[in-house]
Amino acid sequence: MEEKKSSGRCGGVLPFFIGFLICCILGWVVIPPLFYTKVEQPVRFSHKVHVEGQEMDCDSCHYFREDGSYAGFPSNAQCADCHAVDDADSVLDAIVEKVGSKDKIEDILKLPVDEMPEGLTELVQSSDEANVKAELEYLVKYALQGKEVPWLNYQYQPDNVYFSHKAHQDVTFEALAEKHVDLDGVVDHAVLAEGGDHNCNLCHMKGIETNDTPPAFERNILSGYSKITMKMWQCERCHAQMGQNNACYVCHK
Amino acid sequence: MGFDRRTFIQLSVGGTVGILFTPVLWKALDDVSIWTQNWPWIPRLKYGALEDQPAVSKLCDSGCAVKVRKVAGSAFGTEGNEDSPLSKGGICPICANAVQVMRNPNRVKGPMKKVGEAFEPITWEDAKSMVADKLAAAKGKVAFISGDQTGTANEVFSGFLAGIGSEDYLQMPCDMQAASRAYNGVMGGTGQVAYDLENSDFVLLAGADAMESWGPTVANQKAFAATHPTGEKPTAIYMLASPVQTRTASVVDAWIPVPEEGMATFLLGVAYHLIRAGKYAGAADFGSFRSMIMDAYAPGKVEAAIGVKGADTAALAKQLLAASDPIVVPGGTSVATATAAFAVNMLLGSLRKVSEFPKVIQSAMSTSERMSKDLLTWVNKGAAPAVAMVYEANPAYSLPDDFKAGFVVSFATEWDETAAKADLVLPNAFTFERFDDMQNPYGIGKQTYSVGVPVCRPTLDVMASTDFILDVAASMGINLGFDSFAEVIAAKAEAVGADFDEASGGQYEGSYSSARASVLGASVLSRAAAPVRGNGAVVLAPYSQLIVGSQNVATTPNAPCVISTNVLKGGTLVAMMCSATAKKIGVSDESKIKLSGGNGEAAALVKINEGVLPGAVAVPLGLGHTVGDEFSKGVGDNVYKILTVRSEAATGATVWTGSTVNVAKM
Repeated sequence: MEEKKSSGRCGGVLPFFIGFLICCILGWVVIPPLFYTKVEQPVRFSHKVHVEGQEMDCDSCHYFREDGSYAGFPSNAQCADCHAVDDADSVLDAIVEKVGSKDKIEDILKLPVDEMPEGLTELVQSSDEANVKAELEYLVKYALQGKEVPWLNYQYQPDNVYFSHKAHQDVTFEALAEKHVDLDGVVDHAVLAEGGDHNCNLCHMKGIETNDTPPAFERNILSGYSKITMKMWQCERCHAQMGQNNACYVCHK
Repeated sequence: MGFDRRTFIQLSVGGTVGILFTPVLWKALDDVSIWTQNWPWIPRLKYGALEDQPAVSKLCDSGCAVKVRKVAGSAFGTEGNEDSPLSKGGICPICANAVQVMRNPNRVKGPMKKVGEAFEPITWEDAKSMVADKLAAAKGKVAFISGDQTGTANEVFSGFLAGIGSEDYLQMPCDMQAASRAYNGVMGGTGQVAYDLENSDFVLLAGADAMESWGPTVANQKAFAATHPTGEKPTAIYMLASPVQTRTASVVDAWIPVPEEGMATFLLGVAYHLIRAGKYAGAADFGSFRSMIMDAYAPGKVEAAIGVKGADTAALAKQLLAASDPIVVPGGTSVATATAAFAVNMLLGSLRKVSEFPKVIQSAMSTSERMSKDLLTWVNKGAAPAVAMVYEANPAYSLPDDFKAGFVVSFATEWDETAAKADLVLPNAFTFERFDDMQNPYGIGKQTYSVGVPVCRPTLDVMASTDFILDVAASMGINLGFDSFAEVIAAKAEAVGADFDEASGGQYEGSYSSARASVLGASVLSRAAAPVRGNGAVVLAPYSQLIVGSQNVATTPNAPCVISTNVLKGGTLVAMMCSATAKKIGVSDESKIKLSGGNGEAAALVKINEGVLPGAVAVPLGLGHTVGDEFSKGVGDNVYKILTVRSEAATGATVWTGSTVNVAKM
């Protein structure tokens, strides 16, 4: 009877530890990645081509407007500074003639480049095959149809959070070091160690400004937020250490 | 080692404990809590550049010069345009909700034709063919009803009407029409009477609810505010004569209770004292005017007719005489009241006018010409055109009497009573989606012209009615000289001398001039000024509030929360009356009553308000729509339908002043 009570047949507490171990592995290693699904940016935008190739500055696309609000993503109007489409209607007409219907405009992207209308291919400025493909996708799906690109924001914050880039533009690495701010779990140690003139990497992905293919956006399957969306405790920690107000209304207007 | 029930339980317990040592459960709980903040039906904000684009909003009768607020190219609101001489940064309650109206699901989504009792979609090309065929078959028996008081669109429509051989261009009844018929008709003047409130030191509002619903309310409020600085002595005196203490009455310096139907008598009673004080007007009939006043408008007679004491009219006349720049502003659709007000202004030497701007379509009617025809007289004469077209108006709702036509074309932007009754509904582009303009809105003190260009891309299958008519005209071989309304507007702006460009519109600001009328209208006033009342138990004193709506625009989406319970309570309109009136008809506060008169009935709740003349019942116009959205349909009853229409003696104007109703308890 005593043996049965202690589950001697199954090795005592062994099943407990096996279950414990399996679930720990599942919970730490297997399950967490399943919370996220990888989504590609709508256009394979190459920072490398634009920054290194065309020598554009960050603030060519990411800048403060006159009213202090921040233009995080470029609009078609800005892209048109280089990727101008003077007569979109005639290019669209040529595409429609090729694909047979207004509803199938994007089908033109399935054709080889040399079968595409000349009016479209003339607009392409790249020569590298991958970049040509990306540029054509931008032109056909967005610029020609007058639709803005629905860029995915890696640091997406919900509508109930008011974040002002203007208010944070002076949070320099020097200022953080001076106040001995402990941002463990908030900011990557490598970013803090490296420092630099721009503080963008305190919140945004390190190295994104020079990549050729944008990293996938990891979307939480339940909340819909980005994997790297900063959580409220992270904002609060920095606020507290920098001596800033942590009242609700500061961020939730 | 076997795997039995006990092992399973131990494994499960271990697993449960193990999972608690991982972030999975806490992460899932956190994500679920965030997920609940983002239900799919919660609208998402749009982020992008903020932009304010100047535009004109033609929703209210006067029109407002506004700025449409946009984020990332999407309009989300309106605000006053501080560069406009009209609004100076202010905005009326209707135009403040313009974007919400533009996004209203009640908008007509595309051209529709009536088949049986239902509507079916039709293409614009088919609609043009159908209209052209109907007009050709009508052989000139065509009418056009316009609710647009200020737009050059009227030139396109009236020029087109002339091209198909009809003169039945009819304006919806309005204060501007009464003033035009008084000044240009009865008194032999030319132009549009102007009221320089900004520079007047004494303003007598004779029935004109200037801060609430009369004329350019925003400009009126600005002028009032400038002369009544907070904490300082006013630099001008404003008085309101009306049967109800409206919101205007609550802010002006004095309120004089005068029945609406007795307003002309009241003004001529004031003229009596002015003439007695030696005032003279250089008009051909001054002698007969003077005799008429002295005979029929002595203080005792005025008091007997309308209950206003002679001492009060004498004191008022004294103040008018003492002022350096006084002005009398008439309100309502009575031509007699407008004539009497202008006669008083002539005696005071303060009658001013603004000239009409030149026409760009030569076959079109001038403003005074299109104001000269009386719509209800035309209706009541039994007019039955083969085709009637309705633009920026809702006559099926706001005319006390119904109009009839063989084929009705409605250019409505939203579904309303007229659109529902029409055979063809051709949705006009919204005011922010089309070219439009405002010439000299009635009530302003100087010439003004504002041009609006499209600032919002249409999201529905709509078309500017002006462009539609220009296309139909071209197909019928009628040459109006322009292919598009954008060209008409550009030509108009050039003719006016406005600073105009196609990206941001433009404006022009001129001045006024002294008005010269050949007569004071003595022969007309001697027959038209006496108060006329119906035979019902109480006199109706209808009033308007822009927050409730206008005769063309129903209650806007954001408005219901600020409509007072003195206007609407629990979906029932409120009839305000003084305690003496309530006692006389045997009702009390909160009594539910039925008002019967004109062509209908209205249910109401009684509200005792000593700011209503004895014997009168104050009721709000603009409620009781039978077609529309959740904010207007079935909310209250339509007071227009209990008004009694009569023809004003001598002027022939159709008026409903002195309408009476019978009251029954419910």
